[in-house]
Amino acid sequence: MAYQSLVYGFVFLPLCLIVYQIAPQKWRRRVLLVFSYLFFWLLSGKLIVYLLGTTVFVHCIGIWLEWLRSEQKTELASAERCEKKRIKGIYQKKSRRVLAFGVLLLLGTLAYLKYYNFFVGNLTGIFGSALPFTLEEKKILMPVGISFYTLQAVGYLADVYWGKIRAEEKLENTALFLAFFPQIMEGPICRYSDTAGTLYSGKPLEIDNLTDGYIRIFWGLFKKKVIADRLAIGVDAIFGNYTSYSGAMTVFAAVAYTVQLYMEFSGCMDIIIGSGQLFGVKLPENFRQPFAAQSAAEFWRRWHITLGTWFKTYIFYPVSMSGPVKKWNQYGRKHFGKYITMLGTSAMALFPVWLCNGLWHGARWSYIFYGMYYFTLILFGIAVEPLRDRVLELLHIGEKSAGLKFVRIAKTWLIIFTGELFFRADGLRAGIYMFRSIFRNFDLNSLFDGRLLELGMSRADLTAIVVGCVVVAVVGAVKERGVHVREALGRRPAFIRWSIYYALLLAVIVIAAYGDGYQAVDMIYAGF
Amino acid sequence: MEKLMEILMEIDDSIDYENEKALIDDRLLDSFGVITLVSELEDAFDIDIEASEMTPDNFNSAESIYNMVKRLQEN
Amino acid sequence: MKKIKKIILFMLIFVVILWICSTGIQLVVRNVNGSVSGRSRVFASVSAEKKNTIDVLVAGDSESYTSVSPMDLWDQTGIAAYDCGQPGQRIQETYYILKTAFKTQSPRLVVFETNTMFRDPGMLKNLQLSLTEPLGFYFPVFKYHNAWKALFDGPGGLKTCYKGFEIRDKTVSYEGDENYMKETRDKTEIPEVTRIYMDKIRNLCRKNGADLLLFSAPSPVNYNYKKYNALKEYAEEADLPYVDLNLRYRDIGIDWRKDSYDRGDHLNIEGARKVTEFMAKYLTDNYQLPDRREDSRWKEWNELAESYFKELEQCVIL
Repeated sequence: MAYQSLVYGFVFLPLCLIVYQIAPQKWRRRVLLVFSYLFFWLLSGKLIVYLLGTTVFVHCIGIWLEWLRSEQKTELASAERCEKKRIKGIYQKKSRRVLAFGVLLLLGTLAYLKYYNFFVGNLTGIFGSALPFTLEEKKILMPVGISFYTLQAVGYLADVYWGKIRAEEKLENTALFLAFFPQIMEGPICRYSDTAGTLYSGKPLEIDNLTDGYIRIFWGLFKKKVIADRLAIGVDAIFGNYTSYSGAMTVFAAVAYTVQLYMEFSGCMDIIIGSGQLFGVKLPENFRQPFAAQSAAEFWRRWHITLGTWFKTYIFYPVSMSGPVKKWNQYGRKHFGKYITMLGTSAMALFPVWLCNGLWHGARWSYIFYGMYYFTLILFGIAVEPLRDRVLELLHIGEKSAGLKFVRIAKTWLIIFTGELFFRADGLRAGIYMFRSIFRNFDLNSLFDGRLLELGMSRADLTAIVVGCVVVAVVGAVKERGVHVREALGRRPAFIRWSIYYALLLAVIVIAAYGDGYQAVDMIYAGF
Repeated sequence: MEKLMEILMEIDDSIDYENEKALIDDRLLDSFGVITLVSELEDAFDIDIEASEMTPDNFNSAESIYNMVKRLQEN
Repeated sequence: MKKIKKIILFMLIFVVILWICSTGIQLVVRNVNGSVSGRSRVFASVSAEKKNTIDVLVAGDSESYTSVSPMDLWDQTGIAAYDCGQPGQRIQETYYILKTAFKTQSPRLVVFETNTMFRDPGMLKNLQLSLTEPLGFYFPVFKYHNAWKALFDGPGGLKTCYKGFEIRDKTVSYEGDENYMKETRDKTEIPEVTRIYMDKIRNLCRKNGADLLLFSAPSPVNYNYKKYNALKEYAEEADLPYVDLNLRYRDIGIDWRKDSYDRGDHLNIEGARKVTEFMAKYLTDNYQLPDRREDSRWKEWNELAESYFKELEQCVIL
């Protein structure tokens, strides 16, 4: 039951809403939990044991960490001043071990399920029969959403360890935090402090939340069904048979896939966040007009935001505050000057982030390449920053100049499209082949001589895609100016407001790619 | 506070630290600025700043940085 | 309270809009040939038939419309039949295509090809179909929504359709076991969803005064003795007549080397004509169906039959 399906939006959700509303306040979180498990079970069946196991494990580790903290407190209270440092040290060691145990087991499970075959395949590929033992690739079934809930679980444990939050005492609450059905399949990756409050409150439904939530769901359906699912046809055609295309067609494929991925992922996010809103649960946003970004680094602060934030909080900062990096920082500034030091620190802290980012998407060399691609670009961006500033100063170009902004956005688009080309390509070799083929027989005319229509998208499909993208772009531009679209609409006369809503509903019903000639397209990110 | 101001000015002297309340939120200080700042603070005030302190709230203004330093010194 | 009233008003207006769109799109679909393609095409084409001119409806999945040729039936008996099967038709679709047909037609007999009865796409898909099919029936804008594309793409170049039947003149022999009906006592399970919808279909036929006939087209890929047992038992339970042509394919002269379209899954035109010949006899023997050949209201049928036989002559096989 994917989020864009009729059954989810118009059977499952309403049913859950009704039961939620009927139930007494105390029971409402349990209603959500039961429906979440039902949802998971419908998707993954028996694999729900992974989720249940993770839940119990994380819950216990959380309580253990909390217990250590309170023990430390009582001991400190009665200790002499000179003793305090020693006690703190002991407890810090203890809790660090507990945290490491928890995190390693969580990540180990994820790694085993996700990377075992990749590891074995590469190992035997490199050493061949020279290995003293034989490892065989296994057919491993991955429970849905494991890449997402594992990160949430790790983040939760780290937050408890740092004392940012208190460990959850009720198992059912931990369970709901990890399993809440709108976000279990493809995020957003929530922090406990983001969602816990509204998730457990069991507040009665509110009409405004219901209408706003469903409007957002329809907006997501529009992006996913009108645009993304149509583009999927052409994208699959080119990437599936990439050796037959070159030049402008390959560029088209890269752009089309980027747009598809954005419409698909952000559309699903709209459905997900809208679903949360129905229950008054505020889930964090995952996108903020990524195509308005002026650099690769900024792009990642606007695209899959919760993943970026997670890496920043739980990898980037801990690494950059770790002993070796700090030492380098002091040593470097004395001996090499600020610039080199900063570059070194950046490289040391960014490398693990981008390696993990690549690996997180799956066990493929092309994903690792994708991570390294952004690592290189972002590091390069940091390296040339002083030079660039000086050049701009010499040319008297202000930071705010429209021309500069345009060039920067165009440059960022180039980076994004190239990145997504490698990301989507069927393996790294295919990606390299496709990238090189761009420079072979490049001819813009090939986009207009009817060859696009041979990809399975008709004129009508292309028209729908273009019009749909324009609509999304206009809404995006309005948002970029800081306007809250839903509220702005609320200030318009009812006639205009309602006409817009009707247009949205009808667009989803009439223009969406479903029924004759269309296949349902799976959610891309649910596969990561 | 004076020592703190000195450190801040060394990292970036174009910022009006007295009045700025959103150093992080407005991205006046980027991640590396913060990291440099942290190691300077650790040296200058003999404190240990953990990754868990890395929240915008702690770094958004000179005052909040100062408060964090004081809190860590007391511990 | 005011907000709830507003929402109800919003919904009511929306239903009206949907109704208007549905009416509009139905007009387009009926009058612009080729604006609907794919699975919904037959829904549109059967609604576009002249009122009360169809006496026999043939429903089911692809096995149905590849084995009964209405034009041959017409030529031999004057029975006006229409193939309203769909590729991989689900039982929910069977029910709603019949319901759609009954809106404008009053057939005396529904021939239902039984292969559909064994399809069970799983609970979620069943639930979904049980939602989308009625939605498409009451608000055809859902069913025919893709018709807007004809504005940009022009009407699709569809193969000529002879009352739901297309001429398939390719032969790919079936080279498997000719005795695929090996006697056994085992039965294939008929899914629950089929039983529920079969009850609905029986009621629908009864209410509209049509008889229901179960029929299994010859197909080694799809049939075996276990299915036969299940169907025979079901037909007895439900008190329905059942005709199976897999046990008797030799009697009607099916030659698997020549009459198969795709290795024993579907029949080609040769096979279809043999089955139709059998059906012509079976229907005249067992039902009182009118001969419409001389009736001026069915003049078009004679014309269509003419072009059907002309196309047949051009086919390589003949």
